[in-house]
Amino acid sequence: MKLDGSAKTKNLKVIVSGGCHDCGGRCPYSIHVVNGKAVRIEPHEELKACVRGYGYIKRVYSPDRLKYPMKRTGARGEGHFQRISWEEALETVAKNLKTIKETYGPSSILCQGSSGSPGRLHNPAPIYRLFNMLGGCVYRWGSASAEAAYFAAWVTFGTHATGHTKDDLINSKLIILWGLNPTENIWGTNTSFHLIKAKEEGTKIVCVDPRFTNTTALFSDQWIPIRPSTDTAMMIAMAYVIIKNGLQDDHFLETYTIGFDQFKDYLLGEEDRIEKTPKWAESLTGVPSKVIENLAIEYSTVKPAALIPSFAPGRTAYGEQFHRAGAVLSAMTGNIGISGGSPGCCDIPTVGVSPGPNMPSSPSLIPIGENPLEKEKKEAGHPLSFDFRSRYKVHNTKLWDAILNGRKGGYPGDFKFFYVVCANPLNQIPNTNKGVQALKSLDFIVVQDHFINSTAKFADILLPATTHWERDDYMRPWLGGDYHLFGNQAIEPIGETKSDFQIAWELAKRLGIRDYSDKIEEEWLEEIVFSSPDSRRDIESYEGFRSNGVATAKVKRPMIAFKDQIRDPRRFPFSTPSGKIEIFSKDLADLNDPVLPPIPKYIEPWEGPQDPLIQKFPLQLITFHFKTRAHSNFYNIQWLRELEPHQIWINPVDAVQRGIEDGQKVKVFNDRGEIWIHAKVTQRIMPGVVAIGQGAWYSPDAKGIDQGGCTNVLTRDEGSSGGATPTNTALVEVRKLE
Amino acid sequence: MACRQWHSIDQEVMSWRRVEAIENGIFPDLKVSFLSISCLHCQTPPCASVCPPSAIFKREQDGVVLVDSEKCLGEPDCGFCKEACPYRIPQFNPDHNLKMEKCNLCLDRIGLDKQPICVDACPMHALDVAPLNKLSRRYGHGNVADGFNFSNEAKPSIILKRKK
Repeated sequence: MKLDGSAKTKNLKVIVSGGCHDCGGRCPYSIHVVNGKAVRIEPHEELKACVRGYGYIKRVYSPDRLKYPMKRTGARGEGHFQRISWEEALETVAKNLKTIKETYGPSSILCQGSSGSPGRLHNPAPIYRLFNMLGGCVYRWGSASAEAAYFAAWVTFGTHATGHTKDDLINSKLIILWGLNPTENIWGTNTSFHLIKAKEEGTKIVCVDPRFTNTTALFSDQWIPIRPSTDTAMMIAMAYVIIKNGLQDDHFLETYTIGFDQFKDYLLGEEDRIEKTPKWAESLTGVPSKVIENLAIEYSTVKPAALIPSFAPGRTAYGEQFHRAGAVLSAMTGNIGISGGSPGCCDIPTVGVSPGPNMPSSPSLIPIGENPLEKEKKEAGHPLSFDFRSRYKVHNTKLWDAILNGRKGGYPGDFKFFYVVCANPLNQIPNTNKGVQALKSLDFIVVQDHFINSTAKFADILLPATTHWERDDYMRPWLGGDYHLFGNQAIEPIGETKSDFQIAWELAKRLGIRDYSDKIEEEWLEEIVFSSPDSRRDIESYEGFRSNGVATAKVKRPMIAFKDQIRDPRRFPFSTPSGKIEIFSKDLADLNDPVLPPIPKYIEPWEGPQDPLIQKFPLQLITFHFKTRAHSNFYNIQWLRELEPHQIWINPVDAVQRGIEDGQKVKVFNDRGEIWIHAKVTQRIMPGVVAIGQGAWYSPDAKGIDQGGCTNVLTRDEGSSGGATPTNTALVEVRKLE
Repeated sequence: MACRQWHSIDQEVMSWRRVEAIENGIFPDLKVSFLSISCLHCQTPPCASVCPPSAIFKREQDGVVLVDSEKCLGEPDCGFCKEACPYRIPQFNPDHNLKMEKCNLCLDRIGLDKQPICVDACPMHALDVAPLNKLSRRYGHGNVADGFNFSNEAKPSIILKRKK
């Protein structure tokens, strides 16, 4: 009987670690280990983990873990595999890779890495290094999460680090969370805590979102539901109200920006004879004109005010315009470069920026070298154009089309070999059914992962990787942040799993790349820890960092983006061609593309509320980030599944019309596919819109109907003009199952 | 979830702490509140007074309400505590012979002068555990929240502070 319970656990070791996945946070925690087995975690005093962290133990020890190398025995997608030795697995991969490369050239090799590992050593980079040393391959371009925000921030400010640290929220008088839901998807560890502190100080918080999220429930004084893909129209109408009332900060616009006059002409209809009035926006967005007008007046008169855009409204057709328009609103109200404000564009703080392993310039990674296939430097074309950016790489949304159509479809290779590392593209890239056809057409597929996920079922060889509890690694806060984290290994690798670095190195040996590495894992780790200027500033000793687990950035807090540029614009110009905030971009004017205009504009989205297709598929689908998953990670963890069921949110107005009751199973479909899922009939979503959390695993039945509820069965494989992956722009219909 | 993993509660029917969402209103005028609740270690615990073998008791030194699982009759034989509790707290764990289980205020942690795991895990720092008189000094005497009824019979040991 454990009644006093105060007895200490015997043989307890407490390991300082942390991490998880690409959820938006990066949380330190201690792992309690008894006799070599992790038994639980304990949170850090300040940087609090979320449910994913507490569920991690079930992920590490899941009976479904991929524990051994395997080869496929059934048809692609069936999921039948047989255990083999590492020797056989690596030899098979090396042999096929060599043969395909010799027969078809390196451009027949496609490599897809993503955010499936939180570490800076163990992630897709060691495999990128391998392919680059082997003679190159074709990678993807375009962040699935945030390309619209990156694009807008680079064009407007010349950098994508345009956010403040969240301890500055308390200094705002008004906070507009545009699509942001930090209580569920986590937008930087502790953002919710800073929001509640701001609220307790009396800051008004407005949430603009088609869903009444938990964030809306906890913080908002006002909820503004808006039709997906139309956010830019509301922002533009807000700008119209501000100038009509003469509330813009003329001094700010004059001193720090260029091109406001052209934008003003557009607002007033001088360009297209349409005045961008709140009434105009109401017809597009579903937001009453009075609400738009009031928010515009409030935002331009209450100072300082922080407009904080989520990446979600940017994950729409022409979503780049949303982030561009947010920046212009922030400039018009003089909320840039000041405490309590926000540049309203791409909310990545200016400290410790680490946009991830898919950006070669990213600090703190194993050097990946240069891709020989990209060395040609054919510079004909405009650097901001979709085509130019696709000359060596495949856009994130075009992976399946590229595999199916190759060079004749305008892609940079005829693909035969596909290496997937820390990624689940079949699940996480639009148009899953097309993905199935594409994967079936390839000669050879390798998947390196922790589980036999949707994509892995199509692999020829499966390589089992360790999770971050089974290896040492260095981590940085997701998309920037003011601390560093060391994840100490807590337990021995499960089964025969190997680290991502080890797998790449052993494969390199079999491919005859002798100089792949002159260091063992631990030496690389130490080198990577000190490979960027800010880590050298912040981390005093490697051993001290390891034992502490967390090193705090030596910076003055809160960190305000563009503080210097605003205080002393002569000495500190913006990193744009003009040295100013570019409301009008000459680069974009030169591009001369109506869907990438030089000033932010509302561009009618495909599959939006005005698309004639809405007659056939009358509901707009959004695919939000789910509380208990990080993309497709954690989907198979029962504890987390129980916490929040996977459902489609539908308003009673739409449900009643279709005879759907709460909890009933329904089918959701369009021309791209069909999924079956339970309905959550709720007032918490606006009529005309349905929402499904992304990341549930694609599980087709015999008829090809997805019983797993994977949202990308329904999304469209079309990139937005600036490279965004528009997973929040799709029309569907919902019917109850007979 | 912090509680579940700390106490290794594998059974999905079991949950020592639950968070309820209380939704009111019609689109677009909504109010949604959350109530995080576990055993409230009542001042006069009705579960203890109805327990036939007196397996449930309130510990003298700090008022933590505990169950002696050796004495507990469990389900399906008994279950009186489940009927008596106004907050649907007692649960019967199939992994432990269907004996009653509930929050024990992290005895192991408070024995080491730590806060219960839920308190330490809350990212909003919204939970606190201390003797009631200390809590009243910190937070006042509120006992009203959406989805919560203060039972005058049980006198739950809880103070609820209204959100601003």
